[in-house]
Amino acid sequence: MEDFWKRFSRNRQAVLGLIILSIVIFVAAIANIIYPGDPFLYSKFPLSAPGENGFLLGSDSIGRDVASGIAHGAKTSLLIGLIATLAAVFIGVIFGAFAGYYGGIVDDILMRVTEVFQTIPSFIFAILLVAIMKPSIESVVIAITVVSWPAVARLVRGEFLGLKNREFVQACHTLGMSDIRIMLAEILPNCLSPIIVIGSLMVATAILIESGLAFLGLGDPNVMSWGFIISDGRSMLRVAWWICTFPGIAILITVLAINLVGEGLNDALNPRLRERN
Amino acid sequence: MTLNSFIKGALSAAAITMAGSFAYAQQAGGSLVFLVQPEPPTMAGYVSTSGPIGLLGPKIYDGLVDYDNDGKMVPMLAESVDVSADGKTITFNLRKGVTWHDGEAFTSEDVQFTIMDVLKKVHPRGPNSFKEVSSIDTPDDHTAVFNLDNPAPYMLRALSSYESPMVPKHHLEGQDVKTAKLANNPIGTGPFKFVEWKKGQYMRLDKNENYWREGRPYLDRIVGRFVPDASTRAAAMEKGEVLYAAYNAVSNVEAVRLNKEKDNIGLTTDGYSMINPMALIEFNTKEGPFTDAAVRRAISTAIDRQYMIDTIFFGYGKPATSALSSNFSATGLHAEMPNYPANGDVAAANKILDDAGYSKDANGVRMKATFDLIPYGEDWKRGGQYIQQVLGEIGIKVDLRYEDVPTWLKRIYHNYDFEMNLNYFYQLSDPVLGVHRHYGTNMIRKGTHFVNSSRYSNAELDALLSAGMTTPDATKRAEIYLDIQKILANDMPVVNLFELEFLVVYNTKLKGAYGSAMGAYASFGDAYLD
Repeated sequence: MEDFWKRFSRNRQAVLGLIILSIVIFVAAIANIIYPGDPFLYSKFPLSAPGENGFLLGSDSIGRDVASGIAHGAKTSLLIGLIATLAAVFIGVIFGAFAGYYGGIVDDILMRVTEVFQTIPSFIFAILLVAIMKPSIESVVIAITVVSWPAVARLVRGEFLGLKNREFVQACHTLGMSDIRIMLAEILPNCLSPIIVIGSLMVATAILIESGLAFLGLGDPNVMSWGFIISDGRSMLRVAWWICTFPGIAILITVLAINLVGEGLNDALNPRLRERN
Repeated sequence: MTLNSFIKGALSAAAITMAGSFAYAQQAGGSLVFLVQPEPPTMAGYVSTSGPIGLLGPKIYDGLVDYDNDGKMVPMLAESVDVSADGKTITFNLRKGVTWHDGEAFTSEDVQFTIMDVLKKVHPRGPNSFKEVSSIDTPDDHTAVFNLDNPAPYMLRALSSYESPMVPKHHLEGQDVKTAKLANNPIGTGPFKFVEWKKGQYMRLDKNENYWREGRPYLDRIVGRFVPDASTRAAAMEKGEVLYAAYNAVSNVEAVRLNKEKDNIGLTTDGYSMINPMALIEFNTKEGPFTDAAVRRAISTAIDRQYMIDTIFFGYGKPATSALSSNFSATGLHAEMPNYPANGDVAAANKILDDAGYSKDANGVRMKATFDLIPYGEDWKRGGQYIQQVLGEIGIKVDLRYEDVPTWLKRIYHNYDFEMNLNYFYQLSDPVLGVHRHYGTNMIRKGTHFVNSSRYSNAELDALLSAGMTTPDATKRAEIYLDIQKILANDMPVVNLFELEFLVVYNTKLKGAYGSAMGAYASFGDAYLD
């Protein structure tokens, strides 16, 4: 662990990313304490500029606090990113593991299915899915999961293909271990690091997709998110620049931070890079 | 007799105005590109009164008459109107030499068919407007004689091309009017011919070279553009890509800014006087959480109407004080009623619900509901978000639902699959035309848009509505409508929120488009580019 941290911290940018990400997570965690109550709550002070009427980052057209929206939106964005990524990784690992381990006809079928999903542009596909289901937090998570898992499946399949003929796996066969046990207990732990890296980057993509959907009016109208604030404030950009600007910055730095952390994880976990150093 | 001479006077006055405008040589040619928001579901203005149809339909179809900004009749397809002394026979002398866009001649048979077989049957408001018309005689091709059971002075206010477009009999006869092909390939007698409808982009109309008005229209082409995004619409207006926007296509906040910053962009609230729009919430009174009038009264009491006007519509509007718009004060029909506090009273609303026995649970929730929002732009979305908050304060937790126009219309008016719905209705120039359709039992008409979707039915009210329709005496009529407003302030199948004041945002290059009381719903035959 100490070794891992040493390698991770060698990448300065990754450390910076981690600090920013920690701040975002912290803000999300204490959102209910610093801004108790509903972030949708209107006030009698619409379109206040930042600093006016006690609004740190201004208020929107019906007097909602932009800062409160960003704090509560952080929770939504991070949660959606995390849940959608976990679900995508779960599905992707199952598909990839079976395809890579068994090969042959199983591999053919599973990979053709994966390719069907991969051929559709992911954001368009997500819009389609949310439009068919009613826009809600669940449908957004499902849509992001559906468009994200194929990348994981392909990665895991490649790793399993490479590992399944290694000696330690053959030894397990000789010992009479079941296929499932070999996959779960022996091969999977050995390909965990690339999964963690791709997963961390997927969280960033998921946040972007969620914001994009909310921006197009396909977010859950009952849940505060960064994309929602931007979508609501966009028509007022010329009179109230702050409504769009601050959540936009929030998305930018969060996605950047997650990407930097992902890079750092890659450096720290990738054995080939380890040797090079 | 007085009615007769009044109308004659109005018509001749209008004729003089028209002759006057011929004296100036307006510049002919050019294309007018304007904003249509949202895209119309069809072009069947004889079936649906959906707002965007009105922006394009009256350019293609003519009415029997039009109305100028003072509300006076202007002859269109009818050159003159004669009303008999008892008010029960109305003769329209139709213009000669008018042809449909396909070349067929326009005759009195088309008028007869339009009123009796189309508007009276499938139009949302037609059954009310033409209720008293029992038959129409066509002694010759250019005379249509309306036979009425009772005098119906309001009918003469419902003859514009938006309200009652004249449609070609030869394209609808023997077909199901609601599904006829004409809906998407409109053929009228108007100044512009339908050419092309690129779904999701624009509708193009070209000049009708054979238009019955000499030298009209001035414009070669009208293009209605559909731009779903509000800021793109405002930018198009600012850059001069589009020259005209009405009915909130450019939001009030942007309209006020553009008017201030740009010399060539003007604002007016003219052109809506015959429309008389009212923002409101429709409730499902048959199923769901709002079957109890007390709950609906509580909602009406809680909402801060003035706040909605100030923040969402930037001050353009007036809080509702009754089921009738205050614009009916002119005819003495409007009276202020209780349960419509302009600034909202959350405490009083909570008390109404407490007294009615709806207690709050541990989370402060009395009941849950889904709130549908009219999909006509972001102002309405914000309005819905505000109301959601206020209802939260009185323990009604609502989820918002925002769908596309056809889905929403189907949900509310075909399937009644809703609980409460934010909307706006046109109260028009008389309650008979615009208000009766919300409340009358005879206006519960599945599949017809913008009628009594609440399915509210009250025999006492029905009797009063009938009386209001057929009573010519102004004082007696005021008494009848006072009773109507009292019943509705108590039962509230519909909660009126505020009287909308729409804006027209225009580029000063466009002239001649502002003379009709119908505003954006007029023909634009006189419009030209400077």
